[in-house]
Amino acid sequence: MDLFGELRVLWVAVIAYVLAGSLAIFGVLLKKRPEKTILGLMFFGLALHTVAIVVRWQRLDHGPFVTMFEILSSNVWSLMLAFSIAYWRLPAVRPVAAVVMPILFTMMGWLMTVSPGEMHLPPTYHTTWLFIHIGFGKVFLGAVLVAVGLSGVILLRQTTAGSNRFQRLPADDRLSELAYRCMAIGFVFETLMLIAGAIWAQDAWGRYWDWDPLETWAFITWIIVGVSLHARLTFNLTPRLGAWLVLGVFVSAFLTFFGVPFISQTPHQGAV
Amino acid sequence: MRKLLLALASLKLTLAIFLLLGVSVLLAYFNEVRTSPWLVMSLSLLSINLLAAIATNPYFRRQAPLMVFHLALLAIVILIALGRLTYFKGRVEVVEGEEFTGQFLEVDAGPWHPLGSDRAKFTNLGTRIVYAPGPVRLATQNRVAWVDEAGARQEAVIGDHTPLVRNHYRFYANWNKGFALMFGWQPKSGEPMLGSVNLPSYPANALRQARQWSLPGSAEPVWAALQFEDEPVPETGGEFHLPERYTVVVRQGEQRWEVQGNRGVAHIDLPGGRLSYLGLRTWMGYQVAWDRTMPWLLGASLLAVLALAWHFWRKFTARSWNE
Repeated sequence: MDLFGELRVLWVAVIAYVLAGSLAIFGVLLKKRPEKTILGLMFFGLALHTVAIVVRWQRLDHGPFVTMFEILSSNVWSLMLAFSIAYWRLPAVRPVAAVVMPILFTMMGWLMTVSPGEMHLPPTYHTTWLFIHIGFGKVFLGAVLVAVGLSGVILLRQTTAGSNRFQRLPADDRLSELAYRCMAIGFVFETLMLIAGAIWAQDAWGRYWDWDPLETWAFITWIIVGVSLHARLTFNLTPRLGAWLVLGVFVSAFLTFFGVPFISQTPHQGAV
Repeated sequence: MRKLLLALASLKLTLAIFLLLGVSVLLAYFNEVRTSPWLVMSLSLLSINLLAAIATNPYFRRQAPLMVFHLALLAIVILIALGRLTYFKGRVEVVEGEEFTGQFLEVDAGPWHPLGSDRAKFTNLGTRIVYAPGPVRLATQNRVAWVDEAGARQEAVIGDHTPLVRNHYRFYANWNKGFALMFGWQPKSGEPMLGSVNLPSYPANALRQARQWSLPGSAEPVWAALQFEDEPVPETGGEFHLPERYTVVVRQGEQRWEVQGNRGVAHIDLPGGRLSYLGLRTWMGYQVAWDRTMPWLLGASLLAVLALAWHFWRKFTARSWNE
């Protein structure tokens, strides 16, 4: 399949995601529960998106790791996969999709504006550690995204409209506890990402740590996640404050993975 | 004493130190001096806080995985400190066919580094670098040879992910490579000598293939440039190679000589002696690293993350996600 065919499949996948997200938002607004349709659309979109990534991989003989188009596409895919699994396995918190999907819409919009051009895989990217490092990073970001959805609901419930629309979800304490679990999973996987990245950097560039922008900001994000987890234990935080901390982590992680590659001049360019 | 220990073990202090660590990392990131007193202080404070917490907080003793995680963090801090005291980083250029004998162009080493690079000798046998159209650099393969401790000749290829490890020094072939002009020098009085003039890295400095140097016993410096029209790094892809037709321009003071490449040895009579152009070769740049703490650091990091995963697993399986 050529680039045009690949883009057509990707477009249909994005339309399926947008339909799923829109249904989730209207479901919350109208207090309806079209959950099976939403889940079906999510998995349909994921299946098509997988096809688009696989055909590009076959054509270029490398994974979606080099251009911003590939990085955004693979991230939309992995975040959708992480959230779809959470949506499927945690029925009690499904309305969270109304918070998470608009974040993903932003990334999909960005994806549609960047050039789908092709580039060679740099020589230092020909390693299994690329998959391990990026895979761990994707699990980290996926876990944080689910935590953001849960935290978003806690914060929206501070308003009258939000309290009304998200009424049937578990209490804030329970949502906060689930968000904490997601952050804890994210912390483990971000640690693994840093370790795998250090091994790769040692193999590729002869140093496991060199203060390059991406690794430094990834470590700062790690510290922020550590602070947020510790703060919960130390101060017995309210769900509201805990939710703000989760949003802080997300902003830091998002800027690290999607902002720093724009300012970095080092060979370590990739986002997760 | 107990009061002091409890104050040092405070979780609120942990948070404050975490924030200090974040600021120290930012300071290190924006400054040339990475191992700043701020970073050392925040990591030292974190270690003291952790030790005090382990000594006084019974929660740690009840939670084995959490204890292992924090002990592993402590080990990581100690290993990083040890690594900074003993590390070695260097840069070297070795001409094809020549031996590396422990001489570095740049060296950055910790105060406790036990020098042993003179026992890390090897010979650069040549480099194969493939380019895709563009040109875009693809795989680098640098062949090297050395004589091992038993006296046997060994050969290996340094690749993009495969360093040469000699006496715990790790040699990484990198993007940095170029052309070397080989010269012989017979001064009017004294012993003859052979040497190379490594031109600036190619193709990064494609338009500046010239270098000035001083001949032993000669007051006036010599300048030499390599001029060619073909493409050693083909635009349409292929292998990096020596130029087929080239001219070497040599200048000393007001005098200028031109030597056509691939026509054998050429002699130039200078006021201080005879300079002989012997040929053109490539040189390869290597990053060199030495850090004996690396495997231990990896072990401690894996132990930390496994213990953390174990701790959360125990905690989260106690109550269902869907309750």
